[in-house]
Amino acid sequence: MKIALVCSAGMSTSMLVKNMRQAAEQKGIEAEIDAYAEGELNQHMEELEVILIGPQVRYLKQRISGKADSYNIPVDVIDNMAYGTMNGDKVLQQALNLTS
Amino acid sequence: MNQNKFMHFMEEKFMPIAGKIGSLRHLVAIRDGFVGIMPLIIIGSLAVLINNFPWDGFQNFMVMVFGESWKMVGDSVWNGSFAILSLLVTASIAYKLAESYEADGISAALIAVGALVVLTPVTDDFGLSFTWLGAQGLFVAVVTSIISTEVFRILGKYEKLRIKMPEGVPEGVTKSFNALLPAALILFAAGLVNTLITLFFGQSIHELVFSVIQEPLQGLSNTLGSALLFAFLNQLLWFFGLHGTNILGPIMESIYLPLIEENQSLFAAGTSAFDVPYIVTKPFFDAYVFMGGSGTTLALIFAIFLVVKSRHYRTVGKLSSAPGIFNINEPMLFGLPVVLNPVMLVPFILIPFVLTIVAYSAISVGFVPKTVAILPWTTPPILSGYLVTGGSWSGVVLQLINLSIATAMYIPFIMAADRSLMKNTDSEDFIQEERKVSGQ
Repeated sequence: MKIALVCSAGMSTSMLVKNMRQAAEQKGIEAEIDAYAEGELNQHMEELEVILIGPQVRYLKQRISGKADSYNIPVDVIDNMAYGTMNGDKVLQQALNLTS
Repeated sequence: MNQNKFMHFMEEKFMPIAGKIGSLRHLVAIRDGFVGIMPLIIIGSLAVLINNFPWDGFQNFMVMVFGESWKMVGDSVWNGSFAILSLLVTASIAYKLAESYEADGISAALIAVGALVVLTPVTDDFGLSFTWLGAQGLFVAVVTSIISTEVFRILGKYEKLRIKMPEGVPEGVTKSFNALLPAALILFAAGLVNTLITLFFGQSIHELVFSVIQEPLQGLSNTLGSALLFAFLNQLLWFFGLHGTNILGPIMESIYLPLIEENQSLFAAGTSAFDVPYIVTKPFFDAYVFMGGSGTTLALIFAIFLVVKSRHYRTVGKLSSAPGIFNINEPMLFGLPVVLNPVMLVPFILIPFVLTIVAYSAISVGFVPKTVAILPWTTPPILSGYLVTGGSWSGVVLQLINLSIATAMYIPFIMAADRSLMKNTDSEDFIQEERKVSGQ
């Protein structure tokens, strides 16, 4: 499955991406996880299965949802605490829950 | 109880407004436009810094090895980057805005640049005036790129304005012909505006806007009051977990970039960093106030290592150290958390306030030179203090003083938070959580 994380500059989110990939590997889940800026998202819409938004840019949710709805991609904001502790496991679970 | 009410009020009333501002299409395009040209700005800044590095040994060495004219390289790099700031940002904003409408970005960018040049005065020997292509022309540039792109997009919707091409013509060609009529309308309109303004006011739109709007605003933004206002708004937004720097970005860049540009070009021309005009600039905040990220969280990391006992806080401190050195602090803000944490509200807002005052005072009485370089915002403190002042150790001293003040101010609050966390029965959850994080 393909998971996109959206944030502003991609600096801190890339740490989370790394932890999520590790978590996915440990669980034996095949997942492609990448961080994008909002603007880049459009080019990837067709391939994506879940979009998770960093809590610091959660005001983008409405607009991203607007576009993602037509592709039937679920969109959610990453839990504050899970984001802050860079908890890859928890955020991966959040993504999985959204698709099931 | 009151505190809860306040939080609730802010969540309900303030947050949606801040969120709306943060996602306004035009502001987002302006912000992203500035982000896009940042590499060139930083390169230009670097060129000036190298040319004017205050080590006699270095200067003598360069002259000895490359001859007297070695500075020409840096000077011409400046011309191609910072000196044409307005031109660059016009293209970049127009592109981003068009892209957000899913319109043709490259055409929009080209037309906007054309329109800007139409509005820009020509020098006596028929050259483009660098005076207005740089930061002085920024307001006209931003407005031109937005209006031109809006007109381009709206006209682009009308089928009748598209020139019909025979079947089989490649898409690129069709696209560029589609842009023909809108481009013609925009450029002729710009030409008309330029002519009318020159006829009626005897000066170009650049000169008019600069003297009526941009200059007064710049004078205003160089005051302690507006520096404090900016620091306060930035902190408040971040306290609610919103990207303050990002939301305030468009205003910050449009108003404060010209200030650092002027400092820098005077510095390049040989003025000492003490004598350049502006105290408050974006590098001023980056170097002296937001060390480790908004809220001077590098100091919070120090405070944690100095006094905190609970494992959760120490783990977050450790996790945040490496990114913190590069002024990235989301792990700290959301992990501690600082965001929506009533205990941290006071220091988080107060500390940048105090640091702004200290830095402003230190510069205005002449202890520390003013900022004359733009660095990537990820430049670690200490290094940034040295470079941003054009190579002065007093900048580093100011950073150390500010870090000490901030650490001392964070200590009582993080101790209080620490004690209540240790008492809290929920702390078991935290311990579990951090075991997962640290992989134990």
